[in-house]
Amino acid sequence: MEHHHEEPIEDLEIKSWRRKLIWSWVLTIPIVIVMLIQRFFDMIIPELYSMIGILVFAFFVVFVFGWGTIKSGLRGLFTFYFNMDSLIALGTVIAYVTGIIAFSGVIADYSGVAAMIMAFFTTGKYVEAKARGRASTEIRKLLELGAKRATVIRKGQEVEVDVSELQVGDVFVVRPGEKIPTDGVVVKGESSVDEGMVTGESLPVDKLKGNSVIGATINQDGILYVQATKIGKDTFLAHIINLVEEAQGTKVPIQKLADKITSVFVPVILGIAILTFANWWIFTQDIGRALGVGIAVLVIACPCALGLATPTALMVGSGMGAKRGILIRKGEAIQTMKEVKIVAFDKTGTITKGMPEVTDVFANGVKEDYLMEVAASVEKLSEHPLSRAIVSYQGGRGLKAVKKFKIIRGKGVEGVIGRKIVVIGNRALMKERRINVGVLEAKIRGFEEEGKTAMIAAENKKILGLIAVADAVKEDSIEALQRLRAQGYRTVMITGDNERTARAIAKQVGIDEVIAEVLPEDKSKKVEELQKSGMVAFVGDGINDAPALKQSNVGIAMGTGTDIAIEAGDIVLVKGSLVGVVSAINLSKATFSKIKQNLFWAFAYNVVAIPLAVAGVLHPVIAEIAMALSSITVVTNANLLRRKKI
Amino acid sequence: MKMKLTIQGMHCASCGNNIERSLKKIPGVKDASVSMMTKKGFIEVEKEIPRGEIEKAISRAGNYKLIELEKE
Repeated sequence: MEHHHEEPIEDLEIKSWRRKLIWSWVLTIPIVIVMLIQRFFDMIIPELYSMIGILVFAFFVVFVFGWGTIKSGLRGLFTFYFNMDSLIALGTVIAYVTGIIAFSGVIADYSGVAAMIMAFFTTGKYVEAKARGRASTEIRKLLELGAKRATVIRKGQEVEVDVSELQVGDVFVVRPGEKIPTDGVVVKGESSVDEGMVTGESLPVDKLKGNSVIGATINQDGILYVQATKIGKDTFLAHIINLVEEAQGTKVPIQKLADKITSVFVPVILGIAILTFANWWIFTQDIGRALGVGIAVLVIACPCALGLATPTALMVGSGMGAKRGILIRKGEAIQTMKEVKIVAFDKTGTITKGMPEVTDVFANGVKEDYLMEVAASVEKLSEHPLSRAIVSYQGGRGLKAVKKFKIIRGKGVEGVIGRKIVVIGNRALMKERRINVGVLEAKIRGFEEEGKTAMIAAENKKILGLIAVADAVKEDSIEALQRLRAQGYRTVMITGDNERTARAIAKQVGIDEVIAEVLPEDKSKKVEELQKSGMVAFVGDGINDAPALKQSNVGIAMGTGTDIAIEAGDIVLVKGSLVGVVSAINLSKATFSKIKQNLFWAFAYNVVAIPLAVAGVLHPVIAEIAMALSSITVVTNANLLRRKKI
Repeated sequence: MKMKLTIQGMHCASCGNNIERSLKKIPGVKDASVSMMTKKGFIEVEKEIPRGEIEKAISRAGNYKLIELEKE
């Protein structure tokens, strides 16, 4: 990630509007005073002088300080890339020109009004730019989160370098209170690290040798020596930033209508303004009045509010999410979320911790040590979490050489030790290999009813024993499920585990339905079946569950540690907590209802304001104030989303 | 392939839409999305597009400037 040390673009924009605003009013206020004096005391200033004075002052307001708007607006008119400046530019230029023609005495002089329109427009833009800046506060904080300097150990010496100079493999020191410069692995020291800014986790996380740390998180109390594993664009923070920025560009479907209207808005309003002017001229024979009404129509129409409605709310919503470790990847998910009726969960790693541990060992006529040695030897070659549980329980004691190792997906493993064929796995595997479980069946059931997974180990078709493994439920899973049920969602667990174990876990956390013994590749099919009865949000860990996440209407991918499967979900939870699912649902709903409110307001404003202007009820300056207020209202309303508790 | 653009000069939502429209006209660009809020744009391209073409498309839509171009 590059660091821009100069001022952010937003601040420059606000500053430039403020400068224009101040100068516009410095020149416009005297115009207003002169116009008032003229109206009430016609005699004090000779009309010719005041006309020239107003023209000169207004020239500076419209064509010097308003030049950016005039240029971009008129250019838009000529190139057919109409923009939101086009109407204001045309309105003010026409109003100004009347001041010149007025010397011939045929029409009313609107040049002072031109200055006032531009001054109010500039004021509106300034307030709007500030409000927009507030809308992106959280995201800007995220951008500025990265550390600037790192203390690297080179040839035994500590050297301070810029973060951009770090290389993968460098070892750096992080003292208490310092930011960890980039992603890495602790090689020496221990400490606790505050990862809240990246994961939303409020409690500090303990870090020991071998643990991964995330760049931009803050070291709390010990000294850590960390070896860099990822730098620059590959870091966790860079990924998050990229994801959030990309999401801003995605469209929320409801915005499409607004976009369509905006794209034809300017030419349509131009047409309406011309017709209005012509009508008023013909029917009143008063060209001055007709011009005033025409200008009011030009400046009151506000495509800006329509255009700002969705992006500002999306910005505030995704910023709020990012702060809590909820990354909204697709704007569409926000809209779909409110239709979701069913929330389906993967079990391992989603509801449970995903770190199974051996709880019981039952040896069937052999020594327990022998059973575990054989089991661990074979399981050592597998990466499956259940396998790892057995291997870590055994701790490397008495491991034997294994030949012809094979993984039987969703069922177990197999290998040859010496001359004996070893098979470890579930009932289905035993049945397939014609191994009789017999009297042990009752024992297996017992384990399963406790929510444990029983693995059967057999050697040359004789059962050596059972190994029960349990994966503890995450502390907050129960709370999350309770809240989901209270909100009326149907909850379903989809797992490859056997029916009884799955039911026991489901009961523990409070899930309505269980679909068990599902092979990994069939999970997405099960989601598809659920979709027949309503929209489904699927919550999974993103690594094995990618197809199911894609199949579901809203895929919520759980982050695990520093590896998040970014491509898989519509929403990514950085912290692997189910409470995040509830927050993500609430945040999506709140953001979407804010978008709807904004769009409604923007539509309603135009629907009411344009006819009023056409009817000639509104003075052009009042019209301009209304227009500026409508944009400001939309952006301010988006900022109010923050008040919502999620 | 995706390319990420940082664009200066957008001041209202129609700016983003106009730039999108103009970017989509470049042959080889499959999709474009521009956000005035983040000043960022993303284009989905079939083949690599020279920086000059992107700059041209951006300034065709108005007074905007490409300040950064990253390939992903």
